[in-house]
Amino acid sequence: MVIFFVLPLLLTVVWSVFERTMFWMEPAFTLFSYENFFFSSRLENFLSSMFHSSISVVCAFFIGFPIAIFIRRRVKKVAQHRVMLLFILPFMVSEIIRIFALRPILSRNGVVNSFLMDMNLIDSPFSIFVFTPTGVVIGEIVSFLPFMIFSTFLALEAIPNYIFEVCSDLGVNRRRMFKDIFLPLAAPGLFAGSVFIFVNGIGIALIPTILGGPGSVNAGLIATQAIIALDFPLAMAVSAIMMFTLMGLLYLGHRLFNLTKLLEPIS
Amino acid sequence: MSLRDDFQPKWKLLLKWGWLSFAVFILMAPTFYTVYISFNELGFGAKYYNFTFQWYENVFSDKQLIGALGWTMLLALITLPIVIPFGLLSAKLYKQSSQKVWIVFVLLSPLFVPADILASALLVFFKNLNKFFTLIGEYTGIYSLDTWFDLGIMTAVIGLIVYTLPYVFVVIMITMARYRNEQTEAARDLGASAWRAFLEIEFPQIRAGVFSACAFVVILTFNEYTRTSLLKGGFDTFTSVLISQMLNTGMSEESYAMASIVSLVAVIIVSTILIVTAIKTEELEKKTRIVKEPNK
Repeated sequence: MVIFFVLPLLLTVVWSVFERTMFWMEPAFTLFSYENFFFSSRLENFLSSMFHSSISVVCAFFIGFPIAIFIRRRVKKVAQHRVMLLFILPFMVSEIIRIFALRPILSRNGVVNSFLMDMNLIDSPFSIFVFTPTGVVIGEIVSFLPFMIFSTFLALEAIPNYIFEVCSDLGVNRRRMFKDIFLPLAAPGLFAGSVFIFVNGIGIALIPTILGGPGSVNAGLIATQAIIALDFPLAMAVSAIMMFTLMGLLYLGHRLFNLTKLLEPIS
Repeated sequence: MSLRDDFQPKWKLLLKWGWLSFAVFILMAPTFYTVYISFNELGFGAKYYNFTFQWYENVFSDKQLIGALGWTMLLALITLPIVIPFGLLSAKLYKQSSQKVWIVFVLLSPLFVPADILASALLVFFKNLNKFFTLIGEYTGIYSLDTWFDLGIMTAVIGLIVYTLPYVFVVIMITMARYRNEQTEAARDLGASAWRAFLEIEFPQIRAGVFSACAFVVILTFNEYTRTSLLKGGFDTFTSVLISQMLNTGMSEESYAMASIVSLVAVIIVSTILIVTAIKTEELEKKTRIVKEPNK
């Protein structure tokens, strides 16, 4: 893992300052690739993909966190893992197939629009669901929601039952329990889930390619397009920027919440 | 008042179960819809539904696709015997180590690195390795190493190992969590070698996790596209054929059938594992209850 994962990612920093040649790159020290990234429309696209990923994180939080709390609090202990495993099933179907299959569901003549029109809720079909930023956000939520639920549940699983029982005996109301118990104690899981969704949202090229339409570009797509255009230093600069973003977020998360706590229930 | 006895109106509980089921349904809806369309003779968007196996017959008579299936299977078969022992060793190392943070960081970070970014970095890494070995060849006269990292099966397998190892690690860790190390210590005290203690005491208890991890590796190999397509070189895999069809001609009826085959196989394998694991856990719990409370 050190040779084939850590090393290649660290070397992206070195390769990103190399000079581009016709088909490859040669050793040099130039910041041209970074200039090419930061002083072009690529930065705008990168920031816009960050914005869309942030919306996906917020949506995944509102959908996934209540589910994790419900499983932890209301499902019998022996059945909790089985219910969680229900969310593994979609994860085991290829992400590309799931994203592609969203097209016929969300398109103008797709299932959602047909249903809304059959129910007389709308007069003409919505066209905002695919080939728009909304489509990208929907794709990200459908692709990454299970991870938010897993990581949050893992964090909640580490909370001993007596804490809930004491709160219940002391008559703590639901809002306070959410604010003072669930939110702070599930923070490592929430953070890990959020980082996963955020980083993959800005890094996986297929979602904007399939659901985002022509103007939708993220860091993964910039890197892929740079490789197709044989601009390897630019691809490596984008990878290095992504790596620093990820490392920064994980370091911050670990300092704030000690992310290794997440593995405690299974170690 | 116990945790499960908290007063809660039944309708609220039903609402919460409904929300959970709705989330699972929404996550699975694209898969179900793909399967539904794949059996329609008239394809997507048709007003009528005529059930047919025609698209599946077309898929299975496609020689390119059968070839791609073979390559994908080969990748899975090569990846499996490498990644499973790695996963096992990593899980054991994690349990024994005091430097858990670094192990977790190295083993689980690939989950967080987007596929396109890791694939680009590995692609350039392999190309540079080749150049490095060529350079060594020029100095030493030994040229056997300079094609080692040419894009092909080996590079695709390395990409798959990096991708699947975190999943294997987590799955094995979950089953290992139930295993008590005192059993190995007892076996060692009775004179068993470390290898024998592992094979005869520990492995039977974590076997379910190891087999589940094997199934996950095969499924993930069949589902993987981005890393494999950048690192595979000249041959086609199942998903690369599927995606190229989808991107070039849109979702044809054959594409729906191909996607359904991959999805259904994955869902059936995972569901079987879940059901078998659930039954075995229940049997184990029943046995434990009988031992603990023989009079009940």
